[in-house]
Amino acid sequence: MNFLLLFKDELRGFYKSKVMIFLWLGLPLMTIVLHLWSPDTGEDIPFTALSAIVVSSLGGTLAAVMLTVSIINEKTRHVYDLFLIRPLKRWHLIISKFLAVYTCIGIASFLALILGLVIDYLSMGVPPQTVLSDTIQSLASSLSLMAISSSAGLLIGVATSSILVGVILVIYGANQISAIATLLPNMLEISNPIGFTIILGSMISCFFLVVAIFLFTRKEF
Amino acid sequence: MTRSKETEKFLVFEGVSKKFRDLLALDDVSFEIGQGEIFGYIGPNGAGKTTTIKIMVGLLSEFEGILRIGGYSMPERRHHVHKMLGYLPQHVAFQEWRTVNHALRTFAWLSGLERRKIEPGIEKILEQLALSDVRHKKIVQLSGGTIQKVGLAQALLHNPKLLVLDEPLAGLDPASRYQVKQIIKELGQKGTTIFFSSHILSDVQDVATKIGILNWGKIMQIGTLDELKSHFPSKNDIEIRLSHNSGRWKGLKSLTGVMSVEEMSLNRLLVHLSGQADINETVHHLIQELIRLDCHIRSINPVSPNLDEVYLQYLSGGKSI
Repeated sequence: MNFLLLFKDELRGFYKSKVMIFLWLGLPLMTIVLHLWSPDTGEDIPFTALSAIVVSSLGGTLAAVMLTVSIINEKTRHVYDLFLIRPLKRWHLIISKFLAVYTCIGIASFLALILGLVIDYLSMGVPPQTVLSDTIQSLASSLSLMAISSSAGLLIGVATSSILVGVILVIYGANQISAIATLLPNMLEISNPIGFTIILGSMISCFFLVVAIFLFTRKEF
Repeated sequence: MTRSKETEKFLVFEGVSKKFRDLLALDDVSFEIGQGEIFGYIGPNGAGKTTTIKIMVGLLSEFEGILRIGGYSMPERRHHVHKMLGYLPQHVAFQEWRTVNHALRTFAWLSGLERRKIEPGIEKILEQLALSDVRHKKIVQLSGGTIQKVGLAQALLHNPKLLVLDEPLAGLDPASRYQVKQIIKELGQKGTTIFFSSHILSDVQDVATKIGILNWGKIMQIGTLDELKSHFPSKNDIEIRLSHNSGRWKGLKSLTGVMSVEEMSLNRLLVHLSGQADINETVHHLIQELIRLDCHIRSINPVSPNLDEVYLQYLSGGKSI
């Protein structure tokens, strides 16, 4: 029950933050631009993968930065003190925050890709099966990559105490890891690249979350 | 589960030491607090007061020594202790997007307050602390003193058995300070064990039933104010207040045992006695002489050291216990 309360609280805090408002509008806008532009991505990178990279890159980076800044800020201001002296599990605090941000950017990505589907429908009539399939795959891939960025943002927020260092690490670290996870299946010529990305993304995210929980529960405040 | 039966010693610190790398922040600190006692913890900046408090509430869990609260040992039984704890940190901070009501509701819930008691509880505590007007305001919009009071509200809301307050009166205006002191006293009378640190020694003197003095991470002395005073020889001074100053008091200087008489303000005199003077005998002679000199006495009192003086004496040369 405590976890649910914390999750709802964090969701309430994040969904109307300035960064999230930018994401609510920015990701759908990005999809419109991509669909209108329709760049020739060549044979190596399909359009869905490019779309996933762009959406997850923007959403993931902003989510990761938001998590890192929020955690470091709350740590340095001793906001957690009032939570940690209450009978709740420490990991609930950070995982509820992670899930709240992830839910927000997940919904934003979903809206962005649905918008792309609508554009395709309007331009091509009934969406062909491949477009629908590409969109679902793109969404799954985006969510997987944003999970990597967000969990890395959480870990960096827990492990560092300077906002500047945290943001630099997120931009030059977390974002690159998620990009590699997208490109890796194509480089390795994996037969099911989306499935591979989802599994890899889940594994990396879980690893980051476990390390973040380990550090946070051992931390002295 | 091992729960000590010594709940009358509600809080036991036994040989607690804490190091931050090479810095010894607490050095073999020991004290006991009984249920319902109000323990005032004083000491200069950097003495280790906040470190003591953070160990007590479980924010610092790596330390040497024994800490038992309500029979539960810390930090192993932290979860049990947290169920009966109310805590106000020195610099209380909330998430910026929260309103007062929202913050209090969350903390009441997390502290395990029954759902049906949350709303009436919030209403009651806000009224008690004169915060009803800011109930639906965002906390970032409030002044420092008001945020401090919201911090106190979250500490009191779930009626904790142990209340730990780090500088609870800092930043409050005189009326709020009085109000908070009254609340602390009332809670103590109802059986809540209260541990609070403060720099404002007069406030500690007003509220605490037991006082601990900490310096350089060591406990210098613990006891009631009278016990602390008893370790130092009382001053051989007598304060006289007159209803009007005719100047005839100057004749007091010739009395046996009187070393000098100082005019502190218009109608206030300070009589310094010699080391050998018997204070009771001298007061008797002073009264007789003042009446003979036709000086109208309003009050006459031996001067006893206040907590500020006792504190300074302990810090300047006192030995730790």
